[in-house]
Amino acid sequence: MSDLAISCEGVWKSYRIYHQRAHTLKEKVLSRAHRYEDFWALKGIDLEVETGTTIGIIGLNGSGKSTLLKTLAMVLTPNKGRLTVKGRISPLLELGTGFHPELTGKENVFLAGSLLGQAKREVEKRYDGIVDFAGIESFMDIPVKNYSSGMYARLAFAVAISVDPEILIVDEVLAVGDEGFQMKCWERISELRAEGRTIVLVSHSLPTVRTLCSKAVWLEKGTVREVGKAADVVADYLAEVHHETAENEQAGAGSHGRRYGAGPAQITEIGVLNGDGAHTGTFRTGDPLTIRATYDIPPGLNNTICGIAVMRGENLAYVFGQNSGQAGVTLPTGVGTVDFQVPYLPLLRGHYVITVVLHDEAATKIYDCHERRHWFSVFDNPSLPIEGGMVHVTTEWRAGTSATTESPTADALHSSGTAG
Amino acid sequence: MIAGVEEVFRARELTANLVRRDLKVRHRGTFLGMLWSLTTPLLYVGLYWFIFTFIFRARDIQDATRADGTVVPFALYFFGGLVIWNVFATAVGGSTGSVIGSGYLLGKVYFPRAILPLSTVLSCVVTFGFELAVLMVATVIFAGFPDWHIVWLPLILLIVTVLSFGLALILSALTVFLRDVAHFIGVFLQLWFWGTPIIYSLSLMHDRASLYRLLQANPMTGIVVSFRNVVLLNRPPDLKLLGYDALVALVCLAVGTKVFGHWQRQFAEIV
Repeated sequence: MSDLAISCEGVWKSYRIYHQRAHTLKEKVLSRAHRYEDFWALKGIDLEVETGTTIGIIGLNGSGKSTLLKTLAMVLTPNKGRLTVKGRISPLLELGTGFHPELTGKENVFLAGSLLGQAKREVEKRYDGIVDFAGIESFMDIPVKNYSSGMYARLAFAVAISVDPEILIVDEVLAVGDEGFQMKCWERISELRAEGRTIVLVSHSLPTVRTLCSKAVWLEKGTVREVGKAADVVADYLAEVHHETAENEQAGAGSHGRRYGAGPAQITEIGVLNGDGAHTGTFRTGDPLTIRATYDIPPGLNNTICGIAVMRGENLAYVFGQNSGQAGVTLPTGVGTVDFQVPYLPLLRGHYVITVVLHDEAATKIYDCHERRHWFSVFDNPSLPIEGGMVHVTTEWRAGTSATTESPTADALHSSGTAG
Repeated sequence: MIAGVEEVFRARELTANLVRRDLKVRHRGTFLGMLWSLTTPLLYVGLYWFIFTFIFRARDIQDATRADGTVVPFALYFFGGLVIWNVFATAVGGSTGSVIGSGYLLGKVYFPRAILPLSTVLSCVVTFGFELAVLMVATVIFAGFPDWHIVWLPLILLIVTVLSFGLALILSALTVFLRDVAHFIGVFLQLWFWGTPIIYSLSLMHDRASLYRLLQANPMTGIVVSFRNVVLLNRPPDLKLLGYDALVALVCLAVGTKVFGHWQRQFAEIV
């Protein structure tokens, strides 16, 4: 209990919807009947967020996600209930919070920094990094009203990701903008998560919630429909919201995945790790990736093989699959781990789901299968050319007229092609 | 209450940044920049000096003399009153927009809302610093150096700041619900200006009992009189009036804290 960063107990919040709000004295006096109705956006929310958790809030439009987020950020005061927040909050509800058009870029960095709860010394320390990232060094001393919208967004974004909060509250609006921004944003969130910060985020991107969050809350009409492990909540949500399309069912897209198997060997844990061995869930094309399964194989069950399959998230297209038997590796009995290492991830941008299975040598007996229960996301790698399709293939282009085709080296163009 | 003060104190860097924002934004884009803080009151003094000297042919105010017989010129006497009045008038007048003017922040990030009117008041105090510097230079030139009575100045400044902040809390919160307040206050401050002995001296009204009593009920009277006494006239402040002003200031602060604290939870939804 002592380790709760956020605790909501029966939080209610209503908005007064005025049909015509009286802003002036005349209107107040003349329209005696205040025409308004109360709209309850939150109806008794109970929620506990342990320190160090990354929690995603999902739900349909109008389910109260943003209201809950703003209530947690203490921007809105609940009508009823108790909200306890332990730690310094940095809310990122929009880009460029607190930017004043008349102030220079530099002045705005400090103003916005202090609004986001950063001490002046911290902002000073990060200032060079912010300017560097925004890439507008020569414009820092002119008012931001003279910035192009791109410059403004870059500076706002640089400030946003420079925050070093104890509790980060993020709205998905932050993730607008191009892929580079998004990747940076998720990278920063992953970094903060690895440092043990508490993160609350609202997103419509379910794969994002699935890969970034350990926990998720599903809001429905102002109440908590479900709270629990992100993968489970997202799966249940999808099952309900997207139950309509038959082909989705067939393909299993978005479905929960399942676990089956005859035992007795078991997979107790599966992790998708980056080069530093951290569970980030996000990668760039070309990054190293390791899938690590922790297993428990009873004595006597020799020649156990681990198999891994990777599929596209949206349509479950089978991208590749291998098993340890092909590499001549069988798992020793007892409790242990098996690593599937990909030194250079060839997958292009997208969300991917994996299946991990333990079976016997002939693959006739499935001991334990975690089918499509773990996800990871891949973003563009800025140092590679933009490609289409699913995988990055190293290729070479050659061109020339008939006279030169015999000795093409002079005109050889090195580039990358795609296949998918 | 204690928690509120602590919260505001913790947000002091943000307050400082908001004050800086206020000052910079006010003069951004003008050629003279911060110099306008000095130019405006000087122009006012010139204008009033011209009207009262050449049109109404007013003489120097009779009790505007120091103990050693030095007569303080009317323009200087008036400027002195105007400088301390301006702290109050710009703070109270500006405060009506302090919450609604920062409405874009309210829905996005939490901070103790009271620092919005506070930063408005503090930026007026900073501007006062510039005007005071001009006043001191003018005093030394036209009337000679001030004496030890100047040590009362910080107390007077504290009282006027607390009074302004108390009213600013009430008015900034009220304006959120009723925008008329901003217009009303503009007119009301004009009236208040003439009801404060700035362009005339309090003793001038001595033989008009009801008016005199009304002037004394005005919490700005003691502040203006005492300020001029200690800065220009090398006399002690009017402690009786100043004590009353301090009392009014504390009452305003208490009411303001209460009112603002009660209403602030609705700010984000209404603005």
